[in-house]
Amino acid sequence: MSMMHAAQVTSANATIVPPTAHLMRWVIVATLPGIATMSYFFGLGVLSNVMLAAAFGLGLEAAILRLRNRPVQVTLNDSSALLTGVLLGVSLPPASPWWLIGVGMIAAIIVAKQLYGGLGHNPFNPAMVGYALLLVSFPTYMTLWPPPQELLPESLWAQITGTLPAGQLDGLSGATPLDAFKHKGEAVLASEFWATHPLPEDTLSAWRWVALAWLAGGVLLLAKRIISWHIPAAMLGSLVVLATLFYLSDPSHFASPLFHLLTGATLFGAFFIATDPVSAATSRRGKLLYGAGIGALIIIIRTFGGYPDAVAFAVLLMNLCVPLLDLYSVPRPTGQPKSSRGEQP
Amino acid sequence: MSNAFDFPGGIHPPERKQRSNQAALINAPLPGRVTLPLQQHSGQPATPCVAPGDTVKVGSVIAKREGMISSNLHASISGTVSEINATQIIIDSDGQDEWLRLPSLDWQRVEPNALLERLNESGIVGLGGAGFPTHIKARVVEQHDIHTLLINAAECEPYITADDITLRHYANDVLEGAQISAKLCGAQHIVIGIEDNKPEAIEALRQAIQNSHPITVELKVISTRYPSGGEHQLIKKLLDLTVPSGGLPADVGVLCHNPGTLLAILHAVRDGQPLVSRVVTLTGEAISQPGNRWVRLGTSVKALLEQAGLNQPMLNQVIQGGPMMGAPLLTLDTPVTKLTNCLIAATIVELPPAPEESPCIRCGECESVCPVSLLPQQLHWYARANDDAKMAHYHLFDCIECGACSYVCPSHIPLVDDYREAKSRIRLQRIETVKAEHAKHRFEFRQARLAREEAEKQARKEARKSQQRQTPTSAAASSEKVDLRGLRIAHAAAKASVKKAEKTLARVAQEDPKQPLDDLEMQLATAQENLRATEVQLTQAREQQPSKESP
Repeated sequence: MSMMHAAQVTSANATIVPPTAHLMRWVIVATLPGIATMSYFFGLGVLSNVMLAAAFGLGLEAAILRLRNRPVQVTLNDSSALLTGVLLGVSLPPASPWWLIGVGMIAAIIVAKQLYGGLGHNPFNPAMVGYALLLVSFPTYMTLWPPPQELLPESLWAQITGTLPAGQLDGLSGATPLDAFKHKGEAVLASEFWATHPLPEDTLSAWRWVALAWLAGGVLLLAKRIISWHIPAAMLGSLVVLATLFYLSDPSHFASPLFHLLTGATLFGAFFIATDPVSAATSRRGKLLYGAGIGALIIIIRTFGGYPDAVAFAVLLMNLCVPLLDLYSVPRPTGQPKSSRGEQP
Repeated sequence: MSNAFDFPGGIHPPERKQRSNQAALINAPLPGRVTLPLQQHSGQPATPCVAPGDTVKVGSVIAKREGMISSNLHASISGTVSEINATQIIIDSDGQDEWLRLPSLDWQRVEPNALLERLNESGIVGLGGAGFPTHIKARVVEQHDIHTLLINAAECEPYITADDITLRHYANDVLEGAQISAKLCGAQHIVIGIEDNKPEAIEALRQAIQNSHPITVELKVISTRYPSGGEHQLIKKLLDLTVPSGGLPADVGVLCHNPGTLLAILHAVRDGQPLVSRVVTLTGEAISQPGNRWVRLGTSVKALLEQAGLNQPMLNQVIQGGPMMGAPLLTLDTPVTKLTNCLIAATIVELPPAPEESPCIRCGECESVCPVSLLPQQLHWYARANDDAKMAHYHLFDCIECGACSYVCPSHIPLVDDYREAKSRIRLQRIETVKAEHAKHRFEFRQARLAREEAEKQARKEARKSQQRQTPTSAAASSEKVDLRGLRIAHAAAKASVKKAEKTLARVAQEDPKQPLDDLEMQLATAQENLRATEVQLTQAREQQPSKESP
């Protein structure tokens, strides 16, 4: 009862944490530099992905809320479904067909989020559940990254509607830097590989620019105190440390830490995916362990696993560990004896 | 500035103290009638010792303390007792304001016991909010060595300025009260903790500490941050001592007092004036003359606010205490008590109703502001699931209910309400468990007594029978032989359990003499009954089989 007044004083003070919906909207705002940069390099297919996924997100959320007899308008206003759509949209290859996006969003919103009880109750990151499902179910479509291209590719519309003949699809796609490096072959040294100019022109620099744009968005989130530094710092820290160890052990076969940082979804994942508070560990110590685990898994999967990029799987695997991390990372309250740390219930 | 030792978390809510700290401290008009609840303190309610129709003076005892933790109650106006019921005493004023004072005591000369008795007689309780009887608190030295008396003048809650104003007007008197309290508890240091948003009070204290003796007083100004006025937080911040979980400041050798309480102690000792009035902050946008008043206990809140220019149509709610930890009054027909430090007559604009709550997204803001390093988001989850074991794991009972978590929650979840509910539910369960245990032990005692009586009866019967009979039959003898062994074992076990019960009782009585021991005594009695029953059975069996029993 009385605490309501505490909440009430809140509204008088602008420096206080904004409501949940504002947090979600700030995250969406922070994705704009990344989306803009991606669109600039990879064409408007990026934008079509985002818009389609966002529309699916809102539509599916509204539909399932109605089925669950939950307030639709209020819940849609929290913008969390919109955010899930944006995040999945930018993760997919540009100009993905509409049905691919639809299947991904069904997995994200309906299965991963609402079937677990809606916002705040999902153990897994919804966007990454959608992404992982698509990656294992439709590998051909999911690996179709075009090389940097003009803003409005000719076949954009055909691609989105899914009417492009399969034969032409291959012609449009290229390898991502991570993909190319992964499949360079055991016998080829890293220096030899790069000497062959394996990627279309500008690919590497395009990916770097995109990564830096995500970093800019992440810095905005940190500056606005929408996210805390713990998860990104721990994740990037462990990623760099592990990548450096591998690189120093054999620079001719392992990619450099900078390559790991600036290609693929590393920075995007660090600031926009791993920081999803609902599915992350909750205490500060838990967040550090959680982030470090993601960073380590990314390097391990990229280096030894079957997939060129690994952010989605790393995040989902660490989501699985969250209950354990939460149980063993309870901070010691003031006044509690030191021994009660991590005590069993 | 002394910020070397800090407690974690904390928030900076809007202070809104200007509204009430501009005006000088004045006396509220004498009320025509006062309503004095019998419970204005923690512990047992007081028992009335006057009858309707009795005439009383200001300071006459009208209800006496009942039991260990309780406090006397005095008439706060002179007049006639008009009504007494189970919860309160009502006095109608005669308009004379005649006083009945106790003789003045020179605290530097008299024995500590005389001072303690004076505090007891005067009905002094902690005026900071909890209302713990001061004479009981002063007796803490019996169990603990106190090295520091801490004056908690942080007053970190928004709106409240009662301590601020008290210190501006009575800095010398408050310090003298502190010297009395320090004498009682044997403290060698006196430290004042005050937030830096009270420059005038700080200046007054600077002047006053120069002529405060015999103990030198140390003034520590801390930066303003809620909840620095929490006892444990202030002790951590000023003295870098950590009060153990579930413990008291006395466990680390500290005694905390609020300035108002110290002033009341001085008034009781020096002026022989019992606790009949206190300083109350009247504030909020719905009154036109905010400020602090000396208010006689029992004055109606409604009358008090009306005298301060209450704008009834603007009023949305009245909150007693601060906006963070206080509670809204359900009715204005309620009296000012020893615990009323602030009344906020709030408009709907200044303290609007809380927005609809949305689901927790585990953002962790609450965790970063918790002054006790709890995980409010996890507690919330388990509180809603009624998972008491998990809440204990997350240290629910270390929560000080400061409300910082609710304040920052972007989902507007009334977190502290959840915790309070869970706490009271768990407390009730514990009481129920103890009660059930008690009932079980009573039942066991009865069973044991009946068994013993039955055994004795049986023994007498057998004795009579065996006198009549010459020799027991061989069949009976063989069955008796088996029984004898079992009986010896039972006898030894009963003996052991009596010893165990005696030991437990002695240990508990030594550790905590104040704890009720009847349950343990009952368990001892049960064990004794069992022992006697087995003894009787054993002797009887032996008598029947003298030849088989080897010595």
